[in-house]
Amino acid sequence: LSDLLSICTSQQLSFVHQFVSPLLKKDPFTTLPDELCLRILSFIDDPKVLVRASQVSRRWRDLLSDDMTWKNLCVKHDYQRRMSEIEPPLHPAEVNQPEACAFSPQDHEPASHGFSGPLTSTSLPASFEGSANTRPALKSYKSHFKQRYLVDAAWRTGGRNTSRNITQDGGVVTSLHLTSKYIIVALDNAKIHVFDTEGNPLRTLQGHVMGVWAMVPWDDILVSGGCDRDVRVWDLSTGACLHTMRGHTSTVRCLKMSDANTAISGSRDTTLRIWDIRTGLFKNVLVGHQASVRCLEIKDDIVVSGSYDATAKVWSISEGRCLHTLQGHYSHIYAIAFDGRRVATGSLDTSVRIWNAQTGECLAILQGHTSLVGQLQMRGGTLVTGGSDGSVRVWSLERYDAIHRLAAHDNSVTSLQFDDTRIVSGGSDGRLKVWDLKTGQPVRELISQGGAVWRVAFEDEKCVATAEKNSRTVMEVWNFSPPEEMLR
Amino acid sequence: MSADKSTQRVTLTSNENTNIEVDRVVAERSMLIKNLIEDLGDDVTSAPIPIPNVNDPVLRKVVEWCEHHRNDAVQSADDDNDSRKKTTDIDEWDQKFMQVDQEMLFEIILAANYLDIKALLDVGCKTVANMIKGKSPEEIRKTFNITNDFTPEEEEQIRRENEWAEDR
Repeated sequence: LSDLLSICTSQQLSFVHQFVSPLLKKDPFTTLPDELCLRILSFIDDPKVLVRASQVSRRWRDLLSDDMTWKNLCVKHDYQRRMSEIEPPLHPAEVNQPEACAFSPQDHEPASHGFSGPLTSTSLPASFEGSANTRPALKSYKSHFKQRYLVDAAWRTGGRNTSRNITQDGGVVTSLHLTSKYIIVALDNAKIHVFDTEGNPLRTLQGHVMGVWAMVPWDDILVSGGCDRDVRVWDLSTGACLHTMRGHTSTVRCLKMSDANTAISGSRDTTLRIWDIRTGLFKNVLVGHQASVRCLEIKDDIVVSGSYDATAKVWSISEGRCLHTLQGHYSHIYAIAFDGRRVATGSLDTSVRIWNAQTGECLAILQGHTSLVGQLQMRGGTLVTGGSDGSVRVWSLERYDAIHRLAAHDNSVTSLQFDDTRIVSGGSDGRLKVWDLKTGQPVRELISQGGAVWRVAFEDEKCVATAEKNSRTVMEVWNFSPPEEMLR
Repeated sequence: MSADKSTQRVTLTSNENTNIEVDRVVAERSMLIKNLIEDLGDDVTSAPIPIPNVNDPVLRKVVEWCEHHRNDAVQSADDDNDSRKKTTDIDEWDQKFMQVDQEMLFEIILAANYLDIKALLDVGCKTVANMIKGKSPEEIRKTFNITNDFTPEEEEQIRRENEWAEDR
């Protein structure tokens, strides 16, 4: 044969080549068993490649409809949660917390358990009466992947945005919550505005006589407090004020709930008070701080509080006593986060400290901010802090060092939140920015001009921010849900 | 009587009854052979080990790979995930090694799977995955000489279903 080929002209050889080369080609997916074909596909992490491959032939299409491939892809893209497996949160979606205090304590363990992984409080509501948010449970990893992929794309470049004036004059937004049913905005002008999750106004809660500085929602209940020293309990579905609870002798500065019946408030009067919001009765007072209680966080029977006296305290709610005093900061504590084991505190002394809640021992001092640290959120093994120096820092709680230092804003960071994928930060420079949590790279500016961004809250497919624009207070809502027709 | 492992030689017999003699450590890149030797004890090193599912050229190719990778750390079953995340990473020698016709490539994958040589199996699978990447459906068909067996209607429907992942 080689003799024969050696006497061929190049034209003849070219013909032979054209004839032979397809014969040397072979469809791997008909040659190899399914198990190995799927192994090959597991090395592809670009959905575009997979959907193109599915258009090759019937055999390829059938292989690519194998949900394990898409499950792998979900894992690779960190699309951990499967919507159809998400149960309704036990706790109302508490996305942002009043004031400069910390964020959701109910953020669970690190997202390292694959699909049995965490369900955040901000997940989509599974049961949701008469709402456009209702979406049939997704049946496969492929459809889950597709949805998350489209949502991610919308966060980067798309989404639908609506903007609405809340006040005609200024008015500082002191607190913003995004729950599965409501968007709730509290102002320093004594009003609380309630919207549906699309941003349509439902009602205004009136009763406080001075600025509202703290509030916490729980299903249809809202507890609020402020300069008038009252703690009020509201029914969000009717707007009725159910209870007005008195006891604090100065401004209520922070509020959290430990269960559906119990709210805990912290005040400038140096005390924390525990309330039964069903009966409207005072239950207990936690005395010990020497100055204003600025922030608090609850996990199970433990409440931790941060104070202008430069200490944080760990209290037992049921016993009504202080278990530990966390001493070390040199100045006011403005922000606190607590995951049940560790406490993180942010202070005017520019440092962040991590404490063991069981022993009261200081585990680490995180240095780097050059001004007050007023924002912090802890989630799994990650801590994100924001300061009056305009920087946002991402810290590893395993190594106690900085993973990313983001030059986020020209002025103070007024609000921040993060999830498995992204950080959203608002600043007094009037900008609202989205960052990639893993890489620390900027993804997008949702607001790039205006007075100041007051508050921001987001969940998987939605982001809400309140800001000052042309000396008016506006609320912007972004919806990143893919259009229904794209999900078929 | 157990001689120094590093100097022991074993003989592998392909399904064409050809023998290949290699160092025991090289043969033990294959978990199948390693377990076999451990189960049967050192006696097996004196008798040829039959590899009934692999022909001579493929077995020689596999042995060549094992020789080159004789000193690599053995991959445990568990770190499957870590090493597999870096999808396109194939080292230069392996890339060259895999420059064979498709028939041979797939035979190597099958042999690596049968002999339980995870690292080689992954290199093979990655090589195929890389042949798929960045190609249109028609280019993929050309690459592997695949006949498009969709009806035009089916093709249009599946294209529409998958539009979401294309650049927008």
